[in-house]
Amino acid sequence: MTVRETVDSVVKVLGPYIGETMARSAAEAHCQKLGMNDGAGVGPEQLESLLGKLGNGLNIFLGRERSKAAIGEVRAALDARAAVR
Amino acid sequence: MSASKLVWLAVAISVLVYVGWAVAPASALYSTTLTPHRLLALAALLKLAALLLGAVWAFACRDRLDVDNPARPAWLLLSLGLLSTFAGQVCLAPFQLVFGETPFPTPGDIFYVLAYPFLIAALLVFLNAYREAGLPLGSFAGRVALLLGIAVSAVVILRPVAATPGPLLDRVLTIAYPALDLVLLVPLVLLLRMALRLRRSEAGEVWLLLLSGFVCLCAGDICFAYFQSLGEEHLDPFVHATFILAYALVAGGARRQLRILTA
Repeated sequence: MTVRETVDSVVKVLGPYIGETMARSAAEAHCQKLGMNDGAGVGPEQLESLLGKLGNGLNIFLGRERSKAAIGEVRAALDARAAVR
Repeated sequence: MSASKLVWLAVAISVLVYVGWAVAPASALYSTTLTPHRLLALAALLKLAALLLGAVWAFACRDRLDVDNPARPAWLLLSLGLLSTFAGQVCLAPFQLVFGETPFPTPGDIFYVLAYPFLIAALLVFLNAYREAGLPLGSFAGRVALLLGIAVSAVVILRPVAATPGPLLDRVLTIAYPALDLVLLVPLVLLLRMALRLRRSEAGEVWLLLLSGFVCLCAGDICFAYFQSLGEEHLDPFVHATFILAYALVAGGARRQLRILTA
């Protein structure tokens, strides 16, 4: 899966929690810091790092339990997207 | 209609009643039924209720977050700020409830002033928590432009208030409130920019309520300073309306956050 597709999935799931604009800008900023380029593929380690950083941000707004649940939803959405491919 | 909507409807009606009092104080409604004494007493009770609930809900938010959550101290500081404002209002309430008057200054002003370091610190801790989490908060140039804008506003707003003659303590306090509000505005505007990115979301609702409340608080303080120093006390109903709305919005924001944390 590419970085763009990953970011799109993150935005779709996290939008209701923190807004689509914040979800996109946070995901893109973290991708950039992790050296993930737009068209490139996302490795398992990079994905874990990205989800970890997104989880830390969500934790501030939603608390640990709901932030874990939201990251779980992102994982499920990414798995579903990968399965379709 | 849900209980939450009913509460907001009651807040809106209360605000309209106080605006009406300022606009048409000689009307039959305000000279017979809603007399100044009753309205002052009602305003005191509404402010006390909103401040106490806000402090309790903000503390409950702090309690629901993990010890290592960087937003936890911010909710505690917000709770303490609201509690200090509540203490100030408690000092003022007997005068308003029994005598129907609002003396200035009173020992309550100690608590009102004391609330500001807590509220400013709360917003700064929130900002730091979001920055540490890697959330985008704007550029350095944007922050410099903001500081310059607020410095210019400070000169414009504070000059007429500072130039007014009167007892030293009155003058110090009437300048201190808007000056502290302007300091509060710095993290407030930075958080406002972040809140715009949260729009149409659960977290966005919290910040819309909290930041609208703080904006009303600043507006109320600036109006109070102007009306007090320029001898326009007949416009005080506007100040009551602004503070009732401010405290209700901040309390509503804390309540909304608590609902997110307990969902």
